[in-house]
Amino acid sequence: MAASRAHALTFKIIAECKTTKARVGKINLPHYHVDTPVFMPVGTQGTLKGLAPEQLVELDCKIMLGNTYHLGHRPGPELLEKAGGLHKFMNWDRCLLTDSGGFQMVSLLKLAEIKEEGVKFQSPHDGSEMMLTPEKSIEIQNSIGADIMMQLDDVVHSSTTGTRVEEAMHRTIRWIDRCLAANKHPEKQCLFPIVQGGLDPDLRKRCAEELIKRDVDGYAIGGLSGGEEKSHFWRMVTLSTDILPKDKPRYLMGVGFALDLVVCVALGCDMFDCVFPTRTARFGTALIPGGQINLKNKMFAQDFRPIDENCNCSTCKDYTRAYLHTIVTIEPVASSLVTVHNVAYQLNLMTSIQKSIVDNRFPEFIQNFFEEMYPDGDFPQWAVEALKSVNVRLSE
Amino acid sequence: MKFSVLCVRGHGARLGQLSSIGHQGCKILDTPMCMLYTRGGSAPYLGLDMLQRMENIPPVAHITLSHLSDHYEAVQAFKEGVAKFTALKDHLVFISLHDPAVEVYSGFNEKSGIAIWGKGGKTKIDVDLFMKIQEALLPDWYQALSDGDTSKDTSKKRAGKSVQRTLTFLDQIIERHSQSERLKNSALFGVIEGGYSEKDREHSAKETSARPVSGFIIEGFHNMGPKSEQFCISDVSGVIQKTLDYLPEDKPRLMHGVWPPDQVLEAVELGIDIFDSSYPCSDLCMYFDDLAPISPHCTCYTCHKKFTRAYINHLLNTSEILAGVLLMIHNFHHYFQFFRSIHSALEENKLEELKRVIQQQKSSAISKDALLS
Repeated sequence: MAASRAHALTFKIIAECKTTKARVGKINLPHYHVDTPVFMPVGTQGTLKGLAPEQLVELDCKIMLGNTYHLGHRPGPELLEKAGGLHKFMNWDRCLLTDSGGFQMVSLLKLAEIKEEGVKFQSPHDGSEMMLTPEKSIEIQNSIGADIMMQLDDVVHSSTTGTRVEEAMHRTIRWIDRCLAANKHPEKQCLFPIVQGGLDPDLRKRCAEELIKRDVDGYAIGGLSGGEEKSHFWRMVTLSTDILPKDKPRYLMGVGFALDLVVCVALGCDMFDCVFPTRTARFGTALIPGGQINLKNKMFAQDFRPIDENCNCSTCKDYTRAYLHTIVTIEPVASSLVTVHNVAYQLNLMTSIQKSIVDNRFPEFIQNFFEEMYPDGDFPQWAVEALKSVNVRLSE
Repeated sequence: MKFSVLCVRGHGARLGQLSSIGHQGCKILDTPMCMLYTRGGSAPYLGLDMLQRMENIPPVAHITLSHLSDHYEAVQAFKEGVAKFTALKDHLVFISLHDPAVEVYSGFNEKSGIAIWGKGGKTKIDVDLFMKIQEALLPDWYQALSDGDTSKDTSKKRAGKSVQRTLTFLDQIIERHSQSERLKNSALFGVIEGGYSEKDREHSAKETSARPVSGFIIEGFHNMGPKSEQFCISDVSGVIQKTLDYLPEDKPRLMHGVWPPDQVLEAVELGIDIFDSSYPCSDLCMYFDDLAPISPHCTCYTCHKKFTRAYINHLLNTSEILAGVLLMIHNFHHYFQFFRSIHSALEENKLEELKRVIQQQKSSAISKDALLS
């Protein structure tokens, strides 16, 4: 093995739940530190939908996502390098994480073809044939300059079965080595491999076991937010966290519904992202304890309460549901106002989870959370089973 | 509402003060002034949280009936008025009929009421509904119902009709206003109509000023909207001058429109005191691609926080809302600063100098919408 290298990331576990696999940790990164479990809002194009970076700081958001596919296209790596990276370009001095661009290739572009060299696709601009290789993905991510980068992985839809899943798993392992070799700034940008393997326990296991041989600072669990059966979903998550080393952060990609967050923290995941809270805000949906409300609905026309009376965000401090009802989906400002709240909701949820783990009352937190979310006691079966696997028995 | 002219410069530019306004009697406002333009009761793109990061925000929020008439029942049930309903509780509120940045379709006004256009389409507002809405909204001051559907091409007959209708509305409103307990602290502005006809303007001005109104709105030269940016006040300065001659000195005068700075200055010279600020929101676009702030010495939030032209350009290219937020702050900042400049130019009797600066800026502007300092 090579001599000790510089680490862009250090992870320290602060507290562990005595019942579940949940833990509270602190990730130190070149730009800032992150308390885990953490929800990372998605700022696809170098901005979080309508919010100034200062507003995110005031919400105490410590890390957000950028999407390599979008940023590589606009403003492009040249301008980003000239600006000194995305942090400076967008005026955000806390942490950033970028994906590899592969997921967008496969989900947005119909003509993408995956070969050993990389993902071949037709440029959406001029129709020319282009190739996103592991090296190219890292090159763009190096220009963006995020604290955490993701390897290019071979993504298959979670409903895919058979040899294609196995091929993708093996290719993902081959590509992590190419990505690691291509990283020009390992001292200031760390790189996470991604556990793939579809819904096949054996493939997942083999993938994770192979990846943990690499000298990396953290791991992602991928390919699990595509609408698969939840009973498969949680089993793949818990199987992965069982294999991944305890002393490194685990990032469950694309997961961010409140229920999933609570369950997957119990299964040992530390980092999450999801476009849902910010996307849904633009359609007037606000997240509240126990679920969500669509402010467009006539029932809020004369509801003079804030979105959530217990929320401390600027939107809940200043605005009523009734006023928001008059502007959601009409005035752009409504997007920003509801987005502020939804981000606050996600971050507050994670802070409450952290606190309950530190205070050693996470199981009670889970019980209360479920009672509020499902007052009739009709808890989703998959969640009940998942929690049972980590010794939490929900009482109805 | 009280208004006093402190001094008159040149032919008619007035330095004035508004006091005892509406529900916050203690505020004193210096004129010439602009109001804070809003859409749906919020400054475009700016929630209160962001708005409060700006300096020198006009203390009067300009809310339009066309945005809120669909929701007046909610404000009515809320009881505490539109300022608090829209989270602009620290602002005074002026209610106009139409959004100056949106064209008003011609040909829909009737003797019994006028048409306003909201998101849900056309609403016909008669005096009864109008007063119901005002009582719900509880403005500090409001524009009387008026038929301003006149422009350059309007016939003399139609111009006369708009004057007559507007006066009839005004009489009915005054009667209802005087009986209204809720509106006892609200000031009513009468509306001067008459299109391009001097005779009708004269009639409108004389009759309106004979009634108990707190100020005047002069409209009926254009149908609002982006096209009104082409409206040239010098084309009608004669008519406006004649109109103003019949209005009392001690009451404020307001004109709506999308006002570029040079046009504001001309209107100030004629003796207009109050303007809206829809111009800085008219069409947010920029064509920059470098890593400097919009203007290096600007003290607005956007420039001060060092958001670059290249970044804002990227946000525009990708249709991100933050582009609107950052540009709105910068453009508003300059427009509000401009009104402060007008004020000090009048105080120091240097209006001609300011006019020269504005002319120079107009001819050298890189883009009309990023108002450069």
